[in-house]
Amino acid sequence: MDNILQLIVLDWIPSQSKVIDFGCGDGALLKLLSEQKSVTGYGVENDPDKINACIINGVSVIQQDIDAGIHNYKGMGFDVAVMASSIQCLRKPRDAMKNILKVANECVITLPNFGNWELRLGILNGKMPSSAQLPAKWYETKNLHLCTIADFEDLCREESFAIKKNVYLNRKGKSTWLANKLPNLFAAQAVYLIG
Amino acid sequence: MKINTEKVSFVEPLALESGEVLHGFDLMTETYGELNYAKDNAVLICHAFSGNHHAAGKKDGEKKPGWWDELIGDGKTIDTRNYFVVAVNNIGGCHGSTGPATPNNESNQFSGASFPEVSVSDWVKTQKLLADHFGIDCWEMVAGGSLGGMQALQWAISYPNRVKKAAIIAASSKISTQNIALNEVAREIIKKDQDFHNGDYLSKDVSPKKGLKAARMLGHITYLSESNMSKRFGRRLQDPENKIDADINYEVENYLQYKGEQFANTFDANSYILMTKAMDSFDPAKDFDNDLVKCLQNIQAKLLVISFDSDWLFPKEYGVEIQMSAIKAGIDSSYIELEGDYGHDSFLFYSEQYSVALTNFLNSDG
Repeated sequence: MDNILQLIVLDWIPSQSKVIDFGCGDGALLKLLSEQKSVTGYGVENDPDKINACIINGVSVIQQDIDAGIHNYKGMGFDVAVMASSIQCLRKPRDAMKNILKVANECVITLPNFGNWELRLGILNGKMPSSAQLPAKWYETKNLHLCTIADFEDLCREESFAIKKNVYLNRKGKSTWLANKLPNLFAAQAVYLIG
Repeated sequence: MKINTEKVSFVEPLALESGEVLHGFDLMTETYGELNYAKDNAVLICHAFSGNHHAAGKKDGEKKPGWWDELIGDGKTIDTRNYFVVAVNNIGGCHGSTGPATPNNESNQFSGASFPEVSVSDWVKTQKLLADHFGIDCWEMVAGGSLGGMQALQWAISYPNRVKKAAIIAASSKISTQNIALNEVAREIIKKDQDFHNGDYLSKDVSPKKGLKAARMLGHITYLSESNMSKRFGRRLQDPENKIDADINYEVENYLQYKGEQFANTFDANSYILMTKAMDSFDPAKDFDNDLVKCLQNIQAKLLVISFDSDWLFPKEYGVEIQMSAIKAGIDSSYIELEGDYGHDSFLFYSEQYSVALTNFLNSDG
């Protein structure tokens, strides 16, 4: 996760809360949260190398496929769930969102915006687009359900997921005036606190 | 690697979970490497059902090294250049520690079948006395596979401030009904051997070897995976020159016969029964209203729970259950599922994934 995203998430998550990070990668965010906010954190990850990185980082991690298991974490007393750049990789993102909000009171979701102008240009050129946020080629991408900011916010309205906070970041990871004015066109990533 | 084998005697009475008392006991121990000045580099290795204190290294005249030699040694997963590794033979066993096959202190008779029932928490209690003996305030790690993993878990529960890390490998917080059933068949086979004499065979100078052998053959099947057996033996016929028994057709039969026989020559039948009983009764949550979450809540150690995908005796669901309860309890715990070719026995063998995970865990900040 980029530094700027880490800082945003760090700011939103209350001290001493119990946090679960779905797709926690090397555990960097959880390590930071534990050091700076005394958070009790658990990561869910399925990649053995990343799990080993978590263990080196001293981060508690459970090896599991997120698609198979979000609902297993209900009733475990989580305050916040984090899903950073993973929602579009899941088989059923809408069900995953519903389940996440049963696991924790609030969730932090970060999303690569497929509506960004750079990607739109790629499509106009008749090619599957790529960007810094979505670097993989079409034949090796893990993304199954890419969406735009507008799509995602439509889903939140339809399902009554309350967006409590949001930040839009441009391609350089900055929360600029333009990215916030016309996020669906100019933001490359969106960060949401949903409750 | 510096190896030291030592029998440590304890004279104080030991109150067992069953209510019975052992009036002093011996622990057979083996240590590898050296305890540092601060005495904070100690790792305790707990053995599985039929294991013992000889976990690593090769002694004179031995064909095979200790049972976890692939993982313990200079430059290995548990690096004896940095850590002082302690392995112990549990009481009730038959490799030098006080058990049914050692003469009773008072009467100088074999206790045999009258040796009291021992439990996992009894073992952990004796291991704690051993830590005191070595002057070790806190283990850097307690690790074990199978029944050894249960001891590692019990350590974290019983002595929260005396263990920093617990590696619970191919284990569970209690065994399944199927496991108890398999153990009972093994015990029945032993007891029905005409040389068993209700457990008092030693005083008659015989041993129920046939029963022990058959029990071990059954056990051995459960330790391996189906695919591993197919790969190793297939349906190949045993070559006639190396047949243990004339009736044997297939290689797998010969292998089981050989393994069973080897085991029956070195293991004590009463110990077998005691060890399996200790495994059956292990259930630390029973003292906490059968609530595993409550049971884990006071743990201060960091846990690493490892399961192997081919293990059908202690399947991954058991590891996941410990981990989910640990998460609910809010304690520091990680779970990984590793590929292992050898079924339940996978915990005994080196693999890169396994070694990396254990090393990282051991070397991570406590």
